[in-house]
Amino acid sequence: MTMIEQTLTPNVAGTDRELIAFRIGEQEFCVDIMSVREIRGWTPATPLPRSPAYMKGVINLRGVVLPIIDLGARFGLQTGEPTERHVIMVAHVGSRLVGLLVDAVSDIVQLSDAAIQPTPDVASDHVKSFVKGIFAVEGGRMISLIDLDHVLPESEAEAA
Amino acid sequence: MSDDPFEAIKATFFQECEELLADLEGNLLTLESGSTDIEVINAVFRAVHSVKGGAGAFGLEDLVRFAHVFETLMDELRSGRKPCDEPTVKTLLRAADVLADHVAAARGAGPAVDPARSAGLVAELEMLTHGGAAPVATAEPEEDDFGFTPVAMDLGAFEAPAGLPDLPDLPPLPDLAALAPLSDLSAPSASQGWRVVFRPHPRLYASANETGLLLRELGRLGPTRVQLDDSGVPLLDALEPTDSHLIWTIELDGDASEAEVREVFDFVEMDCDLSITPLGDAPSVEAAPVAVEEAAPDLGDDASALARAASSELDIAALLASVGAATAAPAPVAVTPAVEPVAPPPVKLAPAPAAPAPVQATAPAAAAPVTIRVDLERVDRLINAVGELVIQQAMLAQRVTESGLTRSSDIGLGLEDLELLTREIQDSVMAIRAQPVKSVFQRMPRLVREAAEATGKKVKLVTSGEDTEVDKTVIERLSDPITHMLRNAIDHGLESPEDRLAAGKPAEGTVRLAALHRSGRIVIEISDDGKGINRPRVKGIAVERGLIAEDAILSDDEIDNLIFLPGFSTATEVSDLSGRGVGMDVVRRSIQSLGGRISISSVPGKGSTFTLSLPLTLAVLDGMVVGAGEQTLVAPLAAIVESLTPNEADIHYVGGVDPVLRFREAFVPLVDVAQVMGFRDDPTALKGGVVMIVETESGQRAALLVDAIHGQRQVVIKSLESNYRHVEGVAAATILGDGRVALILDIDALVTAKRSRTPSRSDLQLAS
Repeated sequence: MTMIEQTLTPNVAGTDRELIAFRIGEQEFCVDIMSVREIRGWTPATPLPRSPAYMKGVINLRGVVLPIIDLGARFGLQTGEPTERHVIMVAHVGSRLVGLLVDAVSDIVQLSDAAIQPTPDVASDHVKSFVKGIFAVEGGRMISLIDLDHVLPESEAEAA
Repeated sequence: MSDDPFEAIKATFFQECEELLADLEGNLLTLESGSTDIEVINAVFRAVHSVKGGAGAFGLEDLVRFAHVFETLMDELRSGRKPCDEPTVKTLLRAADVLADHVAAARGAGPAVDPARSAGLVAELEMLTHGGAAPVATAEPEEDDFGFTPVAMDLGAFEAPAGLPDLPDLPPLPDLAALAPLSDLSAPSASQGWRVVFRPHPRLYASANETGLLLRELGRLGPTRVQLDDSGVPLLDALEPTDSHLIWTIELDGDASEAEVREVFDFVEMDCDLSITPLGDAPSVEAAPVAVEEAAPDLGDDASALARAASSELDIAALLASVGAATAAPAPVAVTPAVEPVAPPPVKLAPAPAAPAPVQATAPAAAAPVTIRVDLERVDRLINAVGELVIQQAMLAQRVTESGLTRSSDIGLGLEDLELLTREIQDSVMAIRAQPVKSVFQRMPRLVREAAEATGKKVKLVTSGEDTEVDKTVIERLSDPITHMLRNAIDHGLESPEDRLAAGKPAEGTVRLAALHRSGRIVIEISDDGKGINRPRVKGIAVERGLIAEDAILSDDEIDNLIFLPGFSTATEVSDLSGRGVGMDVVRRSIQSLGGRISISSVPGKGSTFTLSLPLTLAVLDGMVVGAGEQTLVAPLAAIVESLTPNEADIHYVGGVDPVLRFREAFVPLVDVAQVMGFRDDPTALKGGVVMIVETESGQRAALLVDAIHGQRQVVIKSLESNYRHVEGVAAATILGDGRVALILDIDALVTAKRSRTPSRSDLQLAS
C-alpha cells in the first residue's frame, strides 16, 4: 500500500490513465490503478477442491475470504510455487474482490489512451482474451495491458 | 439514499406502500376466511387511505383515482352501510392486486397497469359502493332493512367484556341494532345542505395543509355560511403558536352529497375533528354527546350510581335514537371527536350505543411494538463487525492458551466472560435480522389466485407457520423458489376439476405452504393433493434427454429427484405458467446457494411434497473442526451423529472398490474426505483416521473419514460465492482462530458426490 502512495505523482491533468505495472517471470503487465485496492505479501492459501490449477485457494483478508489467482498460470505461463517474495494485488473484478498473485510490482505508469496499441495478431487467442493492448515505455520495455474481466473462471464467474 | 430529498421521501413512501399492501392483503384474507371484525375492515380502510394520501402528495394520479374508489367502498363497509360478504371480499382482493400493480407502475418497478383491467375493477367497486348490481341485495338505502346484519356485527364487536355489573335496566340489544339502520337514511336528506363542524388538529397544519383552501373548496359546492369559533384561543401570554384553537362551523346549502363534502376533507380527515350533519331542525350531533357528558360524571362505583348510570345509558340510547332518526348521519368520523370524552363509561357498562365504535376503531393498534426503520446496510455492517469480533475473540483465546496461561488464571476467566458476552452480542445482532416468513407468504395468495385463473383449476391455499422467524437474507431469497414451486404445484401437480372429480377428490385442489423450525433450520413445505409424479414418464424423459442411462435402475425416490436435474422439464408443451425454461434445477441451485436443500416426496394419485430446508441464518454455524490431508475443515455440527475410531475389520469394499463401514449392524458408505476434496490422491489410506457418522438432510447416513478431530467451535460463515463461486462439496468458508481460512463441508454434497460419480458430472468439472 505504502508503495503506491509513495510513487503516486500528484497528477490530475487530462485524460491520462494511471496504470500499475507488475512482473511475471520476464514479462511485464499492467492494470488500471483504479481497480487495485491494495498490495500485500504472499501468505499461504487454503486450497479449494475441484478448482483449476491457477486457483491458489483462498486467504483471509481482514475477514474477507479472498480467492487467489496465480495470474501467470492463468495466462498459461510457467510458474513455480509462490514464495514470500511474491506479491498479491488485491483487485476489483466486477463486483468481486480477488487477489492476483504476481512476481513483483514494478512501476506506476501514466499514459494517454492513444499510446495503447492493439494486441498484434502474433499472440495466441488465449493470451489475447486477457490482453487489451500493448504499449512501449522508455528502455525499450513492452507492457501488456490486462483486462481483468476474464481472469476468473469464465463459465461460472457470473452464474454462481 | 438519493441526493434529491424529494426522491428520498418518495422512496420511503414506496417502502411504506409495500408494507401497507402486505397488511391490506393479509387483512382481506382474514375477511375472506369469514372474519367480520370491524377492526380488520378499518385496517383495510386505513391502508388504502394511506396509500391514497401518499400518492396524492406525489401526484400519482392513476393510483389516487383507483385508491379513491377502493377507499369509498371500504368506507361504506366500515360504516356498516354495506355488508362485507364473500363476493365483496373477492372483488376487494382483486382490487388489492390491481392497487399493488398501480403502486408498482408508479414506482417504475412494473409495467403500466392494463387500463381495461383497472377500469373494470373500478366499475365493480363502484357498483358495490352504490349498491346497484351488488351480488347481495343491498337494496336502496331508504328501505328499512332491519335484518341488516353488518350493523349488528358492529355492535357485537362492542359487546361488554365479561364480568361487568349486570344492568337489567339496559335497553335490549335488538333495540340498539334497530337504531343503526337509521343511518342509512342519510341519502334522502342529502339535498338540504350540510352543517360541517371542522376543528383542525395541530398535525393538520404540521403537514402543510391550509384551512383556507379547504373552506374555499367547500365554497365551490354551494353557498356557505361560515362561523368561526375563536373562544378556544387563549390569551396572548398563554398562546402556544403551534397549537390549534379554532373551530369553524360551515353551513353549506345546495344539493351536494355527503360524499362530495367529505371528499373536500379527504386528506385531512385523520388530522381534524370533523362532523358533517344535514342541515335541519334536529339537534346537532354535538348536542347529544354534551348531554351524555353531563350524565357521565355521575358514574360511580357504588350500586346506586350504577343504577343511575343505567338510566343515563338509556338517555344515551334515546338521544342517539333521536339524533339518528333526525340527522341520520352518525358517520364514523362525524361523531368521533364529540363522543370521545364520554366514550369510556358506556364501554365499561354494557353493549353501548353504536356511536363509540368508530372511536375504538380510529384508535390505532396502540399495543403494537415500537419500531424503527433502519437501513439494512447499517445492520449488515454491524453484523460483519460482530463476526470479526467473534473471530478476534477466538484468536485471542487461542493465543492465551498457547502462551501457557490456564483457563483459571485471571486472564483466562476474563476471556471466558468476554466469550459469553460476545456470544450474547452476536445472538442479539442476529435477532435484528430475523423476521417472520409472513412477508413472503403474504405474497402467495395472489399468485395462487392468478395461477388458478390461468390454468382454470380450483385451488385453495392453506398456509401455516407464517410467524416462523428467519434471517432477512434468507427470506428475501425464499420468494422466488416458493413462487416457482407453487406455480409448479398448481400447473403440474393439481388436476383439472373434472379429473379430480373423476378421481373421487373434491374439485378444489389444496396447496399447502408451511414453515417450521426443525433442528436449527427452517423447513418450508409445499404440498399439493394432486396426481403426484408420473414416474414412468419422468424416467422416460430423463432417458430421452440423456440424463440417465436407459438401463439405469433407480428407486422411486431417485426418479422423483430427477426433476431437479438441469435440462429437465416435464411439460411437453411450454405452458404459460411454469414452463418458461426455468426448471426445478434453477430452484435447487438458488436453494443450494443459501446452504439449503430441496427434496421431493410423491405418492401417485395423492400428491407431492417439496421440502426446502434452509439455515436460519447465513452468518454463524456450530461446527466441528477437523483435519484432513493437512487441511483444516469444518463439519456442521447439526449433521454429525457421532464419531468413532474405526476398526479395520469393520471396513469392507462393495464390489471390491467402494468402501463401506459397518456401523451398528448396518453398512454405511465410507467417504475419505481428504480424497474426495482432492487433498490426497492415495485412496488406500483408510487406516489411522477418525470417522464421523453424519446424516444427510434426507436422513441417509454416511461415514466421513478424517485424520483428526480438533474440537467444536462456533464459526462465522463467509461466503465463497461473493468473491469466487460455488465449489462442489463446500458449503462456505470461515476464518479460524489462527487467521487462516477453513472450508465448511457440504455434507450432503460430499455423500452424494461419492455415490453418483457419473461421467457427465466429471465432464463438467473438467470444463471449468
